[in-house]
Amino acid sequence: MSEPNAGAPAPVARGPIRPPGPTRVEAGWEAGGQRRDGPVVLVDHTPLAKIQVKAAYDGEAARILGVPFGRAVRGGVGDLVVGSGPGEWLALGPPGTQHALRGRLDGALAPAAARELVTTVDLTHGRAMMRLTGARAAEVLTMLCAIDLDDRRTPDGTAFRSLVAHLATDVIRDDRDGMPSYLLHCETSSGQYLFDCVVDAGREFGLVVSGP
Amino acid sequence: MLLLECPWCGGRNASEFAYAGEPMPRPDPESAGPAEWRGYLYLRANRCGWTRERWYHRAGCRRFFEIERNTQTHELRPVGGGAGGPDE
Repeated sequence: MSEPNAGAPAPVARGPIRPPGPTRVEAGWEAGGQRRDGPVVLVDHTPLAKIQVKAAYDGEAARILGVPFGRAVRGGVGDLVVGSGPGEWLALGPPGTQHALRGRLDGALAPAAARELVTTVDLTHGRAMMRLTGARAAEVLTMLCAIDLDDRRTPDGTAFRSLVAHLATDVIRDDRDGMPSYLLHCETSSGQYLFDCVVDAGREFGLVVSGP
Repeated sequence: MLLLECPWCGGRNASEFAYAGEPMPRPDPESAGPAEWRGYLYLRANRCGWTRERWYHRAGCRRFFEIERNTQTHELRPVGGGAGGPDE
């Protein structure tokens, strides 16, 4: 366990995943580890703002969000809006912006909420999130997940929920600078387990754990 | 491995699903007697051959859907009308 830096602000929140190195505080969250590069890189992104929206899958809210089930779209209300289930969406934003993001979502969905049941819930502190990036990231995930991750079946912008290391996990293909990249989203209590499983699976591919 | 065709997510390993039993009409609580409740809660046809089943996709879309399965051969076929799916 690292010693807290003298004079540094105390973190308000800690994610479930053990930071890989010296820690610092970002947007109230304890973040750790230096940025490192490698053939496959795994980064803990638990502090990202995460707002879940539930509404009818074919209603007004669905039309406003404009993201169908199984797809993830950048831009719009959140940095990334994911159609994570039928009538279920996950909006992501930078760390510390969950209240603003939820406010934006509530505002945008107000016309729909007047006519149908729409709920927005802040899941930021209840879920873990990590990003796996690299040319061979799909090969690492294939060792843990039965879904076909070939580009033709799961191209950039695909989202699905399935078992990853026997754990119900949202998998979001969100490529960075043309490099295959996957966001993995699970319950907080399972975050360290999933992180460790991905590290184990990626060992033979030269996986490197990096800071955000 | 049993591959189940979820109407929302497509084909997935059966380990992602929870079996929810044969779909049965719920008795009217106003008029049903103990024997009818017992039949609804505990008695199943458990037939050999084609049977209609409910499944819950707990590790996927988290929706219930119905499917027909041959309990002898594990052959599967969708239920007409897409019960539980986007086309219902």
